[in-house]
Amino acid sequence: MTPAPALSVIVPFYNEEDSIARMHAAIVAAVEPLGVPFEMVFVDDGSRDRTAEFATELARQDPRVVFVKFRRNYGQTPAMAAGIQEACGRVLITMDGDLQNDPADIAQFLQKIDEGNDIVVGWRFNRQDKLITRKIPSQIANWLIGKITGVPIKDNGCSLKAYRGSLIKQIPLYSEMHRFIPAMASIAGPRIAEIKVRHHARQFGQSKYGLSRVYKVLLDLMVIKTVTTFTARPLLWFTMLATPLLVLGTVAVGYSLWQWATTEGPIPLPVAGTGVLLWMSAFILICGGILGELIYGFGDVRESDFSRLTGTIWRSHE
Amino acid sequence: MSESRFPVDISVIVPVGARHADPVELFGEYCSGLDALGRSYEIIFVLDGPREKFAAGLKRLAAGGANFTVVGLTRPFGEATALMAGFEQATGRVIVTLPAYHQIEAAELPKLVGALEDSDLTIARRWPRAGGPFERLRRGAFHRLLGSVTGLKFRDLGCGARACDRRVLEEIQLYGDQHRFLPVLADRKGFRVREIDIRQSPKDHHEGLYEPRVYTRGFLDIFTVFFLVRFTKKPLRFFGMIGVSLFAVGALLVTWIVVERLFFGQELTQRPALLLSTLLVVLGLQLFALGLLGELIIFTHAKQIRDYQIDTVLNFQPGRSEPSIRSGT
Repeated sequence: MTPAPALSVIVPFYNEEDSIARMHAAIVAAVEPLGVPFEMVFVDDGSRDRTAEFATELARQDPRVVFVKFRRNYGQTPAMAAGIQEACGRVLITMDGDLQNDPADIAQFLQKIDEGNDIVVGWRFNRQDKLITRKIPSQIANWLIGKITGVPIKDNGCSLKAYRGSLIKQIPLYSEMHRFIPAMASIAGPRIAEIKVRHHARQFGQSKYGLSRVYKVLLDLMVIKTVTTFTARPLLWFTMLATPLLVLGTVAVGYSLWQWATTEGPIPLPVAGTGVLLWMSAFILICGGILGELIYGFGDVRESDFSRLTGTIWRSHE
Repeated sequence: MSESRFPVDISVIVPVGARHADPVELFGEYCSGLDALGRSYEIIFVLDGPREKFAAGLKRLAAGGANFTVVGLTRPFGEATALMAGFEQATGRVIVTLPAYHQIEAAELPKLVGALEDSDLTIARRWPRAGGPFERLRRGAFHRLLGSVTGLKFRDLGCGARACDRRVLEEIQLYGDQHRFLPVLADRKGFRVREIDIRQSPKDHHEGLYEPRVYTRGFLDIFTVFFLVRFTKKPLRFFGMIGVSLFAVGALLVTWIVVERLFFGQELTQRPALLLSTLLVVLGLQLFALGLLGELIIFTHAKQIRDYQIDTVLNFQPGRSEPSIRSGT
């Protein structure tokens, strides 16, 4: 048996038959001199070309390769999630399989983790992509993500990231969350560092991610904000949503009652009706909050699971 | 997998619902079809609710020395549940489901099972197919709509004859009316699904129109599949989309009303549109909140959710000729 790996390099591949062998060679060349036992987790996301064949061959030649083969194409987030679950290193590094990230950067990521960070994210400061279709939308998205989630990262889209294994394995990853892993991980209050990485233009294959639909990103952000801040207190959150309705409803009902009392005429129905509607709506929202409390109570995610991961214990008498 | 793990090769599950044929005739037909395969098999009848006539026929069959298993359910649970109940008793490596009435020519069964060589689930498509023009139109519309929702082209999901590897039913828990969409669900799990042309039984005919319930059910089924396929893990994508659009329309209306009130002196008391717009805003908000609640459900159960199916995990260790292959779960 090879010694238990301290470092796992996770690389998802999707139709990358040209890149996979080079990727393997580049990782080995970059990590071997560091002198840490490591493994490479290659995930084949249901490629239709010969990626799986080449990966099997690599695994045969190199015992440090763990090859995870998907039954069909599922997308980048599931590929990352599977790689993370199968990896057993103390530190996990994820990177793209298309040679855009440089494995030579792994050393500084490892160093940053050793300095006590839980997550280290790469920043492609000299990004080799088209300005209008890729760089500007991504800058806006990054700014927005930082504003909403409170995790200001210059480059969320960079796949080259390093995580403390125990932490990232606990973070739920589903749907298309791979862009937001640091934001999602913020539920655990991790120490996040950011370092500059090299970025190469695509050499082979097709770029798989175009200008993604804005509304999806916005909704995902909404979800992340909600689950990271309010998972454990849905009633509070729904009550906050309901408060403006409650206030508006009270104003409307009060106004119509006042009209009715002072001006002899009939009660102004549209205004009164609107007020009652707002009240009812607020009531339903609060009921939703109660439902949320139930959901949290019966779910299997506990905030304490996360706090334990990053918290430190300090005793005065030791 | 070694063959010895399974006492029989093929388990045939026949869910018996409201529509069923004479068990003696049916049993004889299916047996002759299966015998042609030359493989060991067992037949399991699942009585979905008390089916006295069918049960009596089965008793006669048993008295005649026929070999089969019967699972009796106390009330009609629906075909999907009946299939699962039958599957619990099944011991075969290959599972074949057959309808309780004559849909297909039993002589074609070897073709259906044989196609499993290079697929995980094969479903029968009755072809050539009887049926009037209206019936054809209904079927065509249903499958086309389904195709546009799922991106999968199946042409006869109403046929109860399917053959699959045991793993398919182990991984897919059917409930409600999902039996018809087993191919869709299986495809999503990454199984290889094939549709095979099977001759229709001459006894399989349905005169005239179905009850209206059948048509609405078909439509609702597609709606269900739409959810299963598109939005299960992203409730906010769906609820949020509707919610935001309602909210936007309502907010525009409110703005218009407020502007009219402030600058043109239009009295609010005279504006029923105020009610409508508030209703829209409120409804939009509610739907959005519902979506967030859905997201909360997903998040708090994320540990049980696996978005992917692993085929194999390969890792070769020196000194061992065989790789440590873990089959995916």
